[in-house]
Amino acid sequence: MTAPTKTLNVCGKICPYPDMDTMTTLKKMQKGEVLEVLLDYPLSVERIPRNLKKQGHKLISVEQLDGPNHRMLIEAHGLK
Amino acid sequence: MSVALSGLLVGILFGFALQRGRFCMNSAIRDTILLKDTTLLKSVIMAILVAMVGFSLLASAGLIKISPSGFFWGAHLVGGILFGIGMVLAGGCASGITYRIGEGVVSALSAAIGLTIAAVLTMIGFLAPIKDYLQKNTQIWITFPVDGAEPVKVNPTLANIFGMNHALVAIGLAVIIAIIWIVIAIKNREEPEKKTKVSLFTAIFSKGWVWWVTGIAIGLINVLAFYMSTLAKRSYPLGITSGWAGIAKGLIGYEQVTDGVATAYKLGWGDYLIIGIILGTFIAALIAREFKIRWPGWGTIGQTFAGGLLMGFGAITSGGCNVGHILSGLPQLGIGSIVGSISIVLGAWVMAYLLFVRPQTA
Repeated sequence: MTAPTKTLNVCGKICPYPDMDTMTTLKKMQKGEVLEVLLDYPLSVERIPRNLKKQGHKLISVEQLDGPNHRMLIEAHGLK
Repeated sequence: MSVALSGLLVGILFGFALQRGRFCMNSAIRDTILLKDTTLLKSVIMAILVAMVGFSLLASAGLIKISPSGFFWGAHLVGGILFGIGMVLAGGCASGITYRIGEGVVSALSAAIGLTIAAVLTMIGFLAPIKDYLQKNTQIWITFPVDGAEPVKVNPTLANIFGMNHALVAIGLAVIIAIIWIVIAIKNREEPEKKTKVSLFTAIFSKGWVWWVTGIAIGLINVLAFYMSTLAKRSYPLGITSGWAGIAKGLIGYEQVTDGVATAYKLGWGDYLIIGIILGTFIAALIAREFKIRWPGWGTIGQTFAGGLLMGFGAITSGGCNVGHILSGLPQLGIGSIVGSISIVLGAWVMAYLLFVRPQTA
């Protein structure tokens, strides 16, 4: 299991904050660092993986924890 | 079927489809500039095309009567832009905040309360004169010379301003848009995503729907809504804002005065629709295990409430929210709804730019 470098908790937040926060956090990370995102907003669970590719980040895993709660691991592309 | 049952049933179907399709027009409009994601926008266009054809067929069969909203450009412009700004602040369009209440999203509830308060104040409260001023001073009718009779004033549509048959223009336009769309889609074809096979039950009840399924479902529900609401003597497809205002009027015991006689407000089809949407979403979210009380913190609650206030004033002034104008008005080709829709999109884009795009680039 990849150990996350950073954790972002966006539970309770809805459109477009889970997506925006994830993307801006990833932008600031180094290449190869892993971001753990905790979220409970169904639309973002489906939309974030779709949009990661365009930014060059890599989705490692999406795990359903309990009901709508999800845990997502993303490897940063490292734009800096 | 009673008005209550009919409104509730259509609402439950609508809420179910909204939740499964994650159908949010705020996201659809905003994401095209913010995340460069057009998936939800495609659902919206699909829903409009289905309704455009469906409404025409029902109208040709004499089952419904095309009833475009009035055209008052000043009110559409001011109301639409304010609605668009409000919707970005509120984190959801009128239908978006309504269905998310059924998912347990507390910020959606505060936005809906804001929308309801402002809608009632703009309909019958101290904000009403502003709305009346804008609507009365910028209204444009077209007059129809009916054989041998006095010319009648009607609300303009893309069909009647050219004196053309409604179904012909609507279906023709739908076909043209569909062809352009297919050409664009072929040009920008992406590799299809690998799909994992799931049972039909899982696909319907626990996974999010694919965009075109959502679009067709919502389009068809809107056609059903137009028919059912016509039977209930309301004669308009889906709408959200006036339903919320109606529920509030019922709660405060508002009395309507006609010819000096006051009668207590009775909940109508559109009001029951709202209750149905929340119920339908709740059912869908429970089955998909997506229901959860989500508390975002007081800051967000304040922001979505303020957004709701702008939406309520905007929708009543403009004569429609994103559902009334975009989903229900555009398919009827109403000129007022076209101007109203463009204004909503403009307001949303300006606010999305200020709130999200600019801070990122700074």
